[in-house]
Amino acid sequence: MTQPSIFRPGRRAVLGGAIAAGLAAPTIGRAQGNVTLRWWSPQTAPAQRAAYMFQIRTFEEANPSVRVAVEATSDEGYPAQMAAAFASGQVPSVVTHLPSFALATYWQNNLLEPFNDVIEMVGPQNYFEGANRIYEITPGQFAGTGIGGSAANMMWLRRDLMQAANITEVPRTWDQLRDTCRRLQRGGVFGAPLPYARNSMTSLIFICFVHGAGGSIFTPDLQVNVDNDAFRNALEFYRAMRELCPPGATGYSWGESLTAFVSGAAATGIYTGRVLANVAAQNPRIAQHVTCHMYPTISTNVPHWTFNDFPSVMIPRQAANMPVAKRFAAHLFRADGYIRQLHAAPGHVLPVLRTIYEMPEYQNNPIIEANRPAVQLMSQAAAAGHNLGWETTRHRPNVRAGQIIASHVLAEAVQRFCLNNEPMAQVVSTTAQRLEQLMRA
Amino acid sequence: MTARAVNPLDRRYALLGVMLIAPAVLIFCAVIVYPLVSALYLSLFRIFTPTLTGNFVGFANYAELMSSPEFWRSLLNTFIWTVFTLALQIIFGVAAALMLNQAMVFRSLARSLILFPYFVSTVVAVLVWRWLFNDLYGILNHTLMWMGVLSMPLDWLGSMPNAMVSVVLVGAWKYFPFVVIAVLARLQTIPEQLYEAATIDGAGAWGRFWDVTLPQLRDVLIVVILLRAIWDFKEFDLIYLLTGGGPIIATQTLPLMVYKEAFGLNEMGRASAVAVAMMLVMLVFMIVYFRALRAREEPR
Amino acid sequence: MRPSLLRRVAFNLLAWAVVFVVAFPLVWMVITSVKPQFELFRIPPTFWPEQVTFEHYARLLWETPFLTYMRNSLILSTATTILVVAVATLGAHSLVRFRYPGRERLAGLVLFTYLLPSVVLILPLYLMMVWLGVANSLLSLVIAYTSFALPYALWLLRSFMQGIPDDLENAALVDGATRLGAFFDVILPQALPGIISTSLFTFILSWNEYLYALVLVNTDAARPLTTGVMNMLISAFNIEWSLLMAASVMMSIPLIIIFAFLQKYLTRGFGAGGVKG
Repeated sequence: MTQPSIFRPGRRAVLGGAIAAGLAAPTIGRAQGNVTLRWWSPQTAPAQRAAYMFQIRTFEEANPSVRVAVEATSDEGYPAQMAAAFASGQVPSVVTHLPSFALATYWQNNLLEPFNDVIEMVGPQNYFEGANRIYEITPGQFAGTGIGGSAANMMWLRRDLMQAANITEVPRTWDQLRDTCRRLQRGGVFGAPLPYARNSMTSLIFICFVHGAGGSIFTPDLQVNVDNDAFRNALEFYRAMRELCPPGATGYSWGESLTAFVSGAAATGIYTGRVLANVAAQNPRIAQHVTCHMYPTISTNVPHWTFNDFPSVMIPRQAANMPVAKRFAAHLFRADGYIRQLHAAPGHVLPVLRTIYEMPEYQNNPIIEANRPAVQLMSQAAAAGHNLGWETTRHRPNVRAGQIIASHVLAEAVQRFCLNNEPMAQVVSTTAQRLEQLMRA
Repeated sequence: MTARAVNPLDRRYALLGVMLIAPAVLIFCAVIVYPLVSALYLSLFRIFTPTLTGNFVGFANYAELMSSPEFWRSLLNTFIWTVFTLALQIIFGVAAALMLNQAMVFRSLARSLILFPYFVSTVVAVLVWRWLFNDLYGILNHTLMWMGVLSMPLDWLGSMPNAMVSVVLVGAWKYFPFVVIAVLARLQTIPEQLYEAATIDGAGAWGRFWDVTLPQLRDVLIVVILLRAIWDFKEFDLIYLLTGGGPIIATQTLPLMVYKEAFGLNEMGRASAVAVAMMLVMLVFMIVYFRALRAREEPR
Repeated sequence: MRPSLLRRVAFNLLAWAVVFVVAFPLVWMVITSVKPQFELFRIPPTFWPEQVTFEHYARLLWETPFLTYMRNSLILSTATTILVVAVATLGAHSLVRFRYPGRERLAGLVLFTYLLPSVVLILPLYLMMVWLGVANSLLSLVIAYTSFALPYALWLLRSFMQGIPDDLENAALVDGATRLGAFFDVILPQALPGIISTSLFTFILSWNEYLYALVLVNTDAARPLTTGVMNMLISAFNIEWSLLMAASVMMSIPLIIIFAFLQKYLTRGFGAGGVKG
């Protein structure tokens, strides 16, 4: 690959930099001889930030010559920021909470440091079974590890509404779900808040349905796999659910879908454990009636499939002070700090370490305690979860997953079939073509 | 423009003139030329965004673009969006300026509030609008249903033509205050005598507007239309956050396509090609615009 | 011709109705920011809060780097405005009052540099900042914002200065003033309203810019409000609505205050000092 040379800062940069440096010293890390680590994360709401500050403090106390600065990025903006960082060499030391398919893209282009050392420091036996398999993109090397897990397609139910409609059984199959939603849809309440927008949530939820139909987007060898019954059934199911979702679902993303359930406008929900915290804050009235279960599949023969975007930890290869950075990455998993971090978004980010999960300090949180069975279910589901980057245990890692989601191919397939009523054959062939193009690129 | 006597002074001061414009030119060269040139340069390559490295492909990116229905649809969408939102910005802007030029109670406060859409950050404005548009807990649907205008909540953002209409309306709301400021200022310097003369001649309110006000506003509107057209054409945040380009690509404009290529698909080369195409389109518009203006310039 | 009382009242009602509709989102923002979280998503939606709480403002101010972000935004926007307006005023004066080859071409070229979307400009711009050694600092943002505010300011000021009659400057020159003297003593006071309005536009542009701030600055010490607030409160799975509304209200307040003071200058901004013949 030839490199356009204008992008490599040359030796003149040193001189120019020295002159200009006096004008504009970034105000971090200029103390003499100190090591400064930069920690990037897109999850820096006040509650989480407080937890991060604790972790930083304990690390700085244990390592007096090190300072750590947490810098917020965003779920929307990180591609631009990471691109700027990699292209210029000004990379952060540690990046957390990016989805695993972002990791895969960067790993494939040799931008990340192998994480085996850090995993050793954390203790591979402490993890839930198989929690790191998704990161073994190159055999024998780990591209990163998970900072937590999210079971993103849990089905949330309202016990009170079900009781009122005389529904006693939790739906297990799609037919049962449709029936349940239909019966619950009355009095201004809708059955479900599924997204039909042109965004990543629609693509990701649709992938869940394809797996729920017993299929997958790609074969284990990463050949396009959409011209089959599973894909078609998933589309049909998605279309059948349209009438059970609010009219504005054509614009829904994660936030709107969550709020639809939390506010009581939808009788069922499809979301992570964030529901618990939001219900407690925004609609406490229904808190005791909310339960979660695995999302139904097409029939009892098809096992459940959990979507976990695997919020990760990674270290760029160009990071300075690599040994310190690795120590800090491992430090993030130390019990006291890690539990604080998890409690900042209880139920939403679940521990990847079995040892942490079992600790009474972790369990000792009002929301987790009040919803113990739900949290346990989600933790197990997340630990066994997958995403487009690694669809089943038999699949090879798909490093183009991030690009496929960003291209909205799958969301558009949903919109074409469910909203525009385009013929199935056409939708399938267009999608297959575009997926092939993206994989070849 | 008032006539300038060709003054021998002018030529002598040419150097001073150049010196005064020099800082601006320097800043442009230093800060804009490099990114501009690199965008042109990158469009000839296949570039992987995070590393900014790739192969030379010549005009392949452009060829792909020309044959891509997505590009042409996005171009069409950009035209529709720009033309309609600009028209509304101008119409609302002039109308609001006329209104705020009259005597009214608490006029200063009214003027401040009218400018609010322009002050507020686009991200925040769009989030609030999404909330207002929401079918379940948004106050717009609720009010319209309460008034009996609607029986079911309307899907403002997820179906066509609603999505494009909503986007155009929010765009007009966001940027029309810019027109208000420009026009309002100009209105205050139109001499009363002109209006009085027109009234004596029997012109009604509309006649006065058409024959007196509008010609006086012409110069301001020329600049305002040009600047707003360029900004609207390049607008990214508003549409991206409101509809994301959906449903399917019905509201995807070229800036959204550039972003998707650059940071979603990690294809900086293709993104640069789209950006250059955008630039060429705007260039053509500018040339046509200036020609049209020169042709209609009355001799002074 | 005095309109009747009825017409005046009707007009006032209509005008204020329009203002209310336009400013409604602001009203909504303010009201939402003082509602407790459990009142946010009532169905059907309620307008007035049942309880008024300032906890979101308190949380924002004391528990987050919000004040740091605001300080950065103020410094950044002020610096950009001063730089841009200074350069643009001189440039506009040059474009309007001097003759030299390529003058008209230059004005057009200035706009030409404007035609590329910022998405393709940010990465090279960031690399340039790294090369200059100013990456991740407020200075890099000032430079970047200047680049897109300057064409705007130049054209606005140029349009404005074209409205100032030549006679004023010519008279001063005849009296023996130098060109620059005439500029400072005669042109500048006449141009003041235009300068103030251009300053306001530039300030708003810098205050609300998001994409450049996102890529060019990562450290909280130099981060402005836009990216600071957005990155903190908006993530894929969750939006902290109450805090966001409180932050948005606080982000808009400086602008409203500035505008309230500058209002009378602003409306004279494009009108030019003298009456056009």
